[in-house]
Amino acid sequence: MLAKITRFIEAPLVRSYNYITNCFVVLFLSVFHRLHLIFMKIVPQSVRVWWQKFLQDIFIKILRAGPIPEHVSFIMDGNRRYAKSNNLPLKKGHEAGGFTLLTLVYICKKMGVKCVSAYAFSIENFNRSEEEVATLMTLFNAKLEEFATRAKDFRDPLYGSKLRIIGDRSLLSADTKAKLEEVERLTKDGKDFTFYVCFPYTSRNDIQHTIYLNSKDYVERKIELKDITVSKFSDKMYLDQFSKKCDILIRTSGHRRLSDYMLWQSHENSTIEFVPTLWPDFTFTQMCLIFFRWSFYTTIQRYNDITLFDQSMKSITSSIPFLNKRRYHSLESLPEPPVAVSVLG
Amino acid sequence: MTMTEAQAINTTFLHDHKINDKESSETTGSNFHIPPPAASRMKGGNANTKRRTVQVISKSIFVDNRPNKNSDSDSGKFTEGSTFWKRENINYLEFTFYKIVLAELFFIYGIFRYFQLQYNKSKLKIFDLLYSPSNTPQLIRQDVIKLNKIPSRLAVILEVKPIGDVGGGLKGLLNDASELVCWTISAGVKHLSLYDYDGILQKNTDELRNAIFEHLSIYYGPANVPNYAVRIPHFNKVFYNKKGYGDGKGKVAIEVSLLSNRDGRETIVDLTRTMADLCSNKEMNINDITVDLIDTELKQLVGPEPDLLLYFGPALDLQGYPPWHIRLTEFFWEEDNNQVTYSVFIRGLKQYAGCKVNVGK
Repeated sequence: MLAKITRFIEAPLVRSYNYITNCFVVLFLSVFHRLHLIFMKIVPQSVRVWWQKFLQDIFIKILRAGPIPEHVSFIMDGNRRYAKSNNLPLKKGHEAGGFTLLTLVYICKKMGVKCVSAYAFSIENFNRSEEEVATLMTLFNAKLEEFATRAKDFRDPLYGSKLRIIGDRSLLSADTKAKLEEVERLTKDGKDFTFYVCFPYTSRNDIQHTIYLNSKDYVERKIELKDITVSKFSDKMYLDQFSKKCDILIRTSGHRRLSDYMLWQSHENSTIEFVPTLWPDFTFTQMCLIFFRWSFYTTIQRYNDITLFDQSMKSITSSIPFLNKRRYHSLESLPEPPVAVSVLG
Repeated sequence: MTMTEAQAINTTFLHDHKINDKESSETTGSNFHIPPPAASRMKGGNANTKRRTVQVISKSIFVDNRPNKNSDSDSGKFTEGSTFWKRENINYLEFTFYKIVLAELFFIYGIFRYFQLQYNKSKLKIFDLLYSPSNTPQLIRQDVIKLNKIPSRLAVILEVKPIGDVGGGLKGLLNDASELVCWTISAGVKHLSLYDYDGILQKNTDELRNAIFEHLSIYYGPANVPNYAVRIPHFNKVFYNKKGYGDGKGKVAIEVSLLSNRDGRETIVDLTRTMADLCSNKEMNINDITVDLIDTELKQLVGPEPDLLLYFGPALDLQGYPPWHIRLTEFFWEEDNNQVTYSVFIRGLKQYAGCKVNVGK
């Protein structure tokens, strides 16, 4: 328990591992832990759950007051290591990962994020053992159904969200494909929130697919050659209007690379976060701290943009000639200086 | 013909829109690139003082950015039995309350971040003392020998600093670039890609070649400077050594390729146009467009993909590095670092030595 808390508090905030901060964190946490234990003994579970939810809601409301990212993306790395370290079968690890994902998606929706995407299955993952691929597929199908039913249920917080499964479908079996289409059809009316599941996806495949689509359109004379520009190109990618930019990309389990995911979306100006925790351990608190930091810096950046714009407006007004024309005066028109007296007399 | 430094790094001609000249020398990096939020704050410059941050946070309370403001006023004006202004008012009060709380949290975080910044800076200073190459290749090689693997291709993102700063302007950039070339040669890496957003290095190739020559002669002595090739993939040009100093006969110790933002998204779009044209002229089958074909084409146009990408800025900012090429690339940057130093370089190599790549598994 204590180790867990230490990990999730210090991971995003105190990135650099250092002795002194560690000591302070451990000291603080041990006190906190004691208090927490007493709290657990006194207060019944229903109240505790209510209290947790209450805190979460308040924090979400506070974060909503600031700028909110539009597109958040997850690389869910570490399910298998989680299973191994907890002595669970592989399947359990993946299940825990799926659970974490749905919880976080729900929180993102509540916070007002427009679009969440997640790297569920890479094309390279077909290299894994057949058994594992099969379990992943069944688990994925189950999760999809769960999501679809929840998105149709108006009492559920996920109600009204749109689900899109993107990637190279030619690699999937026929009945999986049919199922995917069914689920997409069920949720296609969702407006304010879109959840993209990348299954089986790689970014290179995405780019290749877009090049293919553009070429096809040109061959069929639907577009002109000069119409193929960077923005038009991005519009044709799998992620529709969210293809241009991904605001926050979170990769868990500490690897500092993109692994063929969201290359086009995140190589310009997105915040890429590499978090050392494994994906099933990744919690609400950690994600919110990342959002909080993003919101802090974005507030500053947006303000600076506005003021820079003001400055450029000023420079434009000063460059208009008749607005501030400088008037020149002749030397004679100046008032007389005082009498000049030399020291030498 | 001589250029002033400001002219040499002036890159407005590369872009369509113009930006006020005055601002061009005040911030680190390109004027045309919008960095991610964290990087844009930590890079410093006139707009990022402590006082200003406090100002921003306090003013952020008054910015009204309620998420559902428009949809409320469009559809839900009179639906829930309350008048429009009343509901709006209550919302506004609640919203302002949360705004104030958020501003306070921002303030606390700002103070925490300040101490973290100081801590990180002093840590980096200590690292600088620990790892110092002292212009001797033997020391660098000794550091590298301890590692169990090194990247075969290295990429670095460089930025121009304001002309007034230490190591700023074109001179600073050339200095950084050629220092990096020396370290890379000494570490035994054969390929180095230098990326800067505006292509300033591409524009000043002769100066870069001279600077590399000077630095290499400091490291290896003027008599036996190793051969090097400078390649500009975008113009399809290769230069060997300093101007008028050998023509590339003999073994080349390092190949330096210079990349800019032009090699990123736009090259891919260019490739799309070419392929579309070829397909419509029946010179190519549309089903031949595969990942492998695009990969070989882009390798020719831009160069191979790097194994390790070093960034010498305060927070990771990829600046539009060619997206196709960063598929499995390891990133390394030091938090709150703002200088091109050897300690960051060697720590990057150390991270690479420790990492494990398993594609798909």
